Amino acid sequence: MQKFANPTLFLNLANAVLPYLIAITAVLFTLGLYGALVTSPADYQQGETVRIMYVHVPASWIGMFAYGFMAFFSAVALIFRHPLADAAAKTAAPIGAVFCFLALATGSIWGKPMWGTWWVWDARLTSMFILMLLYLGYIAVWQAIEEPFLAAAIARIVALVGSIILPIIKFSVDWWNTLHQPASVFKMGGPAIETRMLAALLTMALAYTALFLTLHLISMRTEIAKRKLRQSRLFEIRGN
Amino acid sequence: MGALKAILWRDLALARQQGGGLGAAFSFILAVVVLVPLAIGPDLVLLQRLAAGMLWLSLLLAVLLTAEQIFQRDLEDGSLELMTMTTVPFELIALVKAIAHWLTVSLPLAVIAPPLGLLLNLDINQLPIFWLSIIVGSLALSLLASLGGAITAGLRRGGLLVSILVLPLYIPVLIFGVSATTMLMGAQSAVPSLLVLLAITLLCLVMVPLACAAALRAYMR
Amino acid sequence: MTRKQTRLSLILAALSLLGLAVGLVLFAMRDSIVFFYTPSEMVEKHLGPTTRVRLGGLVETGSLIKLPGGLVTFSVTDMTKSMKVSYQGLLPDLFREGQGVVAEGNVAGDGSFLADSVLAKHDEKYMPREIVEKLKAQGKWKG
Repeated sequence: MQKFANPTLFLNLANAVLPYLIAITAVLFTLGLYGALVTSPADYQQGETVRIMYVHVPASWIGMFAYGFMAFFSAVALIFRHPLADAAAKTAAPIGAVFCFLALATGSIWGKPMWGTWWVWDARLTSMFILMLLYLGYIAVWQAIEEPFLAAAIARIVALVGSIILPIIKFSVDWWNTLHQPASVFKMGGPAIETRMLAALLTMALAYTALFLTLHLISMRTEIAKRKLRQSRLFEIRGN
Repeated sequence: MGALKAILWRDLALARQQGGGLGAAFSFILAVVVLVPLAIGPDLVLLQRLAAGMLWLSLLLAVLLTAEQIFQRDLEDGSLELMTMTTVPFELIALVKAIAHWLTVSLPLAVIAPPLGLLLNLDINQLPIFWLSIIVGSLALSLLASLGGAITAGLRRGGLLVSILVLPLYIPVLIFGVSATTMLMGAQSAVPSLLVLLAITLLCLVMVPLACAAALRAYMR
Repeated sequence: MTRKQTRLSLILAALSLLGLAVGLVLFAMRDSIVFFYTPSEMVEKHLGPTTRVRLGGLVETGSLIKLPGGLVTFSVTDMTKSMKVSYQGLLPDLFREGQGVVAEGNVAGDGSFLADSVLAKHDEKYMPREIVEKLKAQGKWKG
């Protein structure tokens, strides 16, 4: 782990892995979308509208996963003072926020024909909305504080405080009577979802995960480049 | 213990001398209460349904407006740094400052503001429970406000950031605080909501001092 | 107290506060914030016509009547009690007899429910039509 603290080493590794990761993402998306749009059957109740699920559910998963990822690396940064961990958390936030937004938007598009409304303030939707706000708050911290070490120290705390929302989102459909349906995949007694549908859904989930990792690696690269730029500017100002 | 008591007395005395923003916060609530009926029209049935929520919202925003000053002055003049040099854990000092904020801002507001609900046609029978819920919730409001205050203590313009960070955390307090009164409207017991409100307060009591102390240490390094 | 003892007692205090918080939530949960009430709960509560509530349950099979002019009536049941609902407007796609539904409105004087919005609640099952039909034919469908 400590080995990758060296940004140059990390960059070399990232550059080597990235082309493969992009290829894997493309392949998974092709397979997943083919499964979601062509081979998987229409639902007995929802008809063709069920296909929104294949973009909605993985987006929510990654929206939550990215926050967990962010909180994990914030904790690593707090405990091990690992310089790249802060960068990992920082760059995960905007990507996670976009996935979170995607989940809310696709859910809304599904909700209008199925439930009969774009939006309700039930526990699942509200808690997901709070997650979105937490992402925005975290991003705002990085933007408000100019001094990077201070910003990192404060952002870690903000990320860790917010992570309490994750179990609330997960269990909101079990704790309260919500309009949102309960869990279909990760539930006691196995998934309540037909095999072809489940296969398409899981492929899409893998595709989203690969997409997240790709985007994250690219923005990590940018972040490290930005740091180098800042350092070389500082050297210039000092006049060597 | 002596040190903590001294800090508490000092904060209370400072608030008494300088006003502590309590008057301004109360005027803010008053202004909101006047603006609501003007904004949504004089429909008494509608007002009654909105009364508890509107008062909660205005109290919560009023507390939020005072959040910035909780740690800022002590950080700037270096007294916070002196406080770290005692043997008392810094987390406890942060907790005491949050409690001082509660005693000087949130609690007085929670005690004097609820009767304003009558201006919004709040049912007088619901007033006691509404009052109770707002007093129970006020400590959580102060704790979360001081978390926001600590996170932005060293920033020039932290005001907007405080709201972005603290408002999402206020949502559970708001939901359960308001539901205590709305449950009563549906002829149900308000007790479950009050218990959850209490549980949120206890959770804040543990987590907030940790996060505050960590944030303040980052600014003092 | 030494520094170590202070730390230890603080940690113990924090843990017991957290434990108390969890206990309170467990005690209070399940009926504090509900999105809707079931028909049995509605009957228990004797709600007046001025309270806005949401009623949730299954649409009773064979109870849906569409009257001219867009007026719809149906019964919502939770298998013990059922409640008559009348509603003026368009029903969502997922609205079926035997499916979950959440209606928002108030209780009328005669004990029926006047809804001004009807939302369909979906369950967690995702199945293609043929398989459901097959399961039903075999008598294995639990729906």
